[in-house]
Parts: sequence; C-alpha cells; structure tokens
Amino acid sequence: MPAFRAKELKGDVRQPWGTIVAFLLPALTFYVALTAYPAIRTLWNSFHRVLPRREEFVGIANYSELIKDEIFWKAVSNTVTWACISPVIEVTVALLLALALYAKVPGARFFRVAWFTPVLMSYIVVGILWMWIYNYDWGPLNTLLRAIGLGALAQPWLGSPDTALGALILVTSWMWVGFNMVVLLAALHSLPKDVIEAAELDNCGWSAKLVFVIIPLIRATLLNLVVLSFIGKMKIFDLVWITTKGNPLWSTETVSTYVYKRAFEWTTFDLGYPSTIATVWFVIVLATVLLLTWLFRTREKLEY
Amino acid sequence: MFYAEPDQVEYMDSGFLLDLSELNWAAVEPWAKEAWMYKGKPYGLPLEAWTVELYYNKKMLDELGVKLPDNLQLSPDAFLDMVKKAKAKGITPMSLGAGDRPFTGAHLVHEALLKKLGVEDYSKLLAGKLAWTDPRVVETLTWIRSLTDAGLLPATFTTMKLAEAHIYFHTNPGALTFLNGSWYTSRAFNPVDKGGQPEDFQLGIMQFPSVPGAVCNECRTIAVGGSYVANAETEHKAEVIKFLNSFLSPEVGNEWLENVKVQTGIKSDPSKMNDKQASEYFAMIAKTNAGAKYHFGLPIQVMTGKPKEVFTQVFNNAFPAGNISVEDAVKQMDAAN
Repeated sequence: MPAFRAKELKGDVRQPWGTIVAFLLPALTFYVALTAYPAIRTLWNSFHRVLPRREEFVGIANYSELIKDEIFWKAVSNTVTWACISPVIEVTVALLLALALYAKVPGARFFRVAWFTPVLMSYIVVGILWMWIYNYDWGPLNTLLRAIGLGALAQPWLGSPDTALGALILVTSWMWVGFNMVVLLAALHSLPKDVIEAAELDNCGWSAKLVFVIIPLIRATLLNLVVLSFIGKMKIFDLVWITTKGNPLWSTETVSTYVYKRAFEWTTFDLGYPSTIATVWFVIVLATVLLLTWLFRTREKLEY
Repeated sequence: MFYAEPDQVEYMDSGFLLDLSELNWAAVEPWAKEAWMYKGKPYGLPLEAWTVELYYNKKMLDELGVKLPDNLQLSPDAFLDMVKKAKAKGITPMSLGAGDRPFTGAHLVHEALLKKLGVEDYSKLLAGKLAWTDPRVVETLTWIRSLTDAGLLPATFTTMKLAEAHIYFHTNPGALTFLNGSWYTSRAFNPVDKGGQPEDFQLGIMQFPSVPGAVCNECRTIAVGGSYVANAETEHKAEVIKFLNSFLSPEVGNEWLENVKVQTGIKSDPSKMNDKQASEYFAMIAKTNAGAKYHFGLPIQVMTGKPKEVFTQVFNNAFPAGNISVEDAVKQMDAAN
C-alpha cells in the first residue's frame, strides 16, 4: 500500500469513547455501588466507631481489641478447620463418584441426579433437614445406630462441643460433593482418549492409570475445586445460623456468625468493630487464596 | 410506632425513641413502667409482661406419688426425689430447650441464683459487681449440676427448639415439668392441631423449688416483653400519645388477658374475666405469684456486650447441658466482666 495512503488511514482512526463509556457505565456503576464502595466503606468503618448519625475516629483501637478477642480467634480456628477439612473430603469423594460414573456403573444416570440434588437445596433447607437427621431422640442417624446395636454411639451431634463442628463439616461436604463430581466428570470426559488408550496398551492397571495419568491431567480442575471450596467455607454463615448459632460454647462459631453477632446482637449499633473483623478476614482470605494459587501453580507444562 | 423490648437500649442510646412521659402512667403497673425507664424517662408502653413458671402435668405427678405442699414449693431434697422418681419411670423430669432462643435454657440458672442471692446481690451479679466465683454462686451452680446429672433435662436440650419443648412437655413424649415463661399459653392454648396441649391435659403450676441456703425463696423474675414504642422524629406526637393512652384502661387490660392469656403491664382485674380458661389460668398464676418479690428483667435483658454473649453461651446452653464445669463456667463469666 502506498505510504501516503497508510498515513491517511492512521489519522482517521478515532476512539469511540462515547460508545465505550455508554456500554461500560451500567456494569461499572453496579460494580462501584455494590462491590467497590461497600468494601472501601467497610475499611473506613474499621477505623471508626460507627453509630447512628455519628462516627468517631478511633484509629487502630478496634484492631488492638481484635488481637485480644478470644471469641474471634476461636471463630478463626473453627473456620480455618472447616475450610481445610471440607475441601479434602468434598473433592476426594467427588473424584471417586466421578470415576464411578465415568466407568459407567449400573444406574449411573440415576446416581448422577441423586448425588447432585443436595447442591440444588438452600442452606436453610439443608440445615433443617440435618437437624432432624441429627436429633438425639428420633433422628435417623441415632435410630440406625440403636437398631444395629451401636446405641452407645448415639449422641446429640449438634449439642456437644466435641461433635458439633464435625457434624456441620459433614453436612457441607454432603451438600457440595455433587457439584464437584459434575465438574470432575466433565474434566474426565475431556481427557485425550489417545493418552488413556496408550496407558492401557502399556498394561497400566486402574490405580496406576488413576495416579499417573488421570490425576495429573485433571490436576488444574482438582486444585480449582479445592480453592473454590476453601473460599466458600471461609465465608460460611447460613448453615451455622440455622442449626447452632455458634453453640455449644462457640464450638461452631465462624467468623461470619461472629461478625453478625457483634453487629446486631451485642445491644449496640456500633458497626465499627464488626467492620474491623470483616476487613481483617478479607485480607486473610485473599492472602490464603494467593498463597494456594502460588503453591499449586503448574511448574512445567504437561506434555503428552 | 413499632414493637420493641426494653433490653434494646441501643434505641434509647441513639435517640430513636419518643419520650412517652405524657402517657397516663397511673393506669400502668409501676414495675412495668420501671422496665422502660432510661435516664429518668419512659420510652415504651409495656403491653406484655411475664414471669418464669414451672408448669407440670398433674396426672403424671399424682402417678409418681408426689404431693406438693400448700405453698406449691418443693424443698431441694423433695425436688431431687421427684426427678429421680420420674427418671426411674422413663419420664423426662423437665422439658427445656435452648435450640432457638438465647434465654430459655438459662431459666434454671437465673431463677436459682435469684433465690439464693436475693434481688440486690443478684442485680450486682448481673451488673458485674459481684464475682461469679462468690461461694454462694458456686454452691447454687453445684446444686443445679446435681439436678442435671440426675437426668433433669432431655438429651436434646441444646438443640430443642421452643415449640418442640412445648410438644415434648404436653404431648410427645410427655415430660413431668416445663420451665417456661408465662406466655406458655400462646402456644399451649391453641387447638391441638395447631400445636396446643391435648384437651384433657391437666396443667398445673408449681413454684420453682427452694434453693439450699437461699435468702429469698419467694424471689422470682418478671420481665416486660413486647411493648409499643414510637419514632422520636414523628410529626404526630399528639396522635401517638392519644392512641397509646387508649390502651391504658382496665377494660383493655382485661381484654388482653382474655385473648392473649399472658400478663400485662396495664393495670387490670383478672377476677372480672369472662373466659373460663383464662380465668382459671390466671388464678393459678396468682397463686404461685402470691407474696413474690420480683427482679425485673432476664439476665440477657440486663447485660450487654461480652458478658451477655458469654452468659448466653455458658448458662443458656453449655452449663445446663453438662458441657462445662461449674469452675470453668464462673471463670468465663468473671473474665467476660
């Protein structure tokens, strides 16, 4: 193309800013109003005592109080325990279920629906259901234990500090296994068939095929599910609120339930301290997710 | 106007509520007005008032061979004996649940402590001016532990909801007693298919047992519950006062008693009620409350902040369930203060 023609074309290109702004503005408005502003406002509140019609700047007093807050650290311990154990259970069980469906066990279509159904329920429904299951007197779990001669193991699962947290971890694991299973099943179905066939031609048994071929190929999916599950459990609120409200003796208290209590149940309208908890927790969750992402990064490209 | 309860002091602290000094307070029980006083002014019309009562199944008690004294108050030994007799027959001695309320489970502890200490020292205890490690407090909690260790409460105490506790008492499986607010009637006097007690259920009310070494076995808690309050920024103050004053007559008080079957802060005359069930019920209430000395407010209505949170966790839930020792319970409360 002649040079003069190229210059003319270059000079004629204009950015359509009006159109760009018009298309971006609605989404940006929502983002700023519902995400960015609340986050920044929470950070601001954390340095204040926030009462109706007035604010008092308190500097880092809320943060100093938080360091000494035993209930907060108990809530952190419970939440981190939940966030570490639940992903392991969910993803492991989900992988086994997905492999069973991948291997086309009899009734696979039924099982896929049955195992996914809990994902469709809200935490409210799940909480009410499992409070019935765990009921000491007439719940199916204790009834079954008594029926098979293990009545000595029957107990108030949600009423004992020793078992309450574990009982709730089991509930969330039951609820989310189905989601992880569906994702992993999709990942299994997208595996390159020639690689699997090559492994079979080399007389690779099922366990070796699983460990050395399948899992490395779906590693990214597995790790993404672990991170998603981890984040979800770091925010858990609904299930605890419906079932135990942090009882007994804060053994099921999570950071989210404690924020709620400090905001609305301590006979004060101060939103400053709960904002401090929320800010600190946001930083902790973000830092942990970045750490997990860095730890699990793929160091070398998988070649096959 | 809206509904509030007197423990919601954050509303008064923040200046949200209208000063109701202009109401006709002569028509209100003085103790009920007192519940709503804040810095010398009243802020709520105390519609609902209630006491903590120990309901029992008359037929079951007769079958166990337990006779109540004339003052309806069993001695500590007689109460423990009653508990053991009930357990021996496979009956839960007391229905009680802390599953969905922050105060029901604590009735056992606060009524006993009130009797042991008397109103003044009990108030100091709740205000953090008397240590929970006080020997009298420890003795009382140890006595309660002896009752719970004898099987006083259901195994599902920590998770049993309030509505379930009602059913547990009068229908399925049936318990001997039920420690509950006098608004028991709001559920129990409904039709059976709506969760009410069976039509042939023989309801009785006894006194909370006397407490070993107590200075005031006639002391009991009275609480003001649902009340009417008004927005401090209302432009219709005169109308608010007129409307609220329309509640303040013995006729309205009696209407409340007959229809709601819970005590009220409005001065009323139960002897002039037409409803037979209400009349009999309030006759029982009057008998158990005869000569009573009252402490106004539940612990969670009096406490705020961390002490309230710790009290709820420890004495509404963990301690009655046997999940925390007396020693650890009192340490936690003193640390929270």
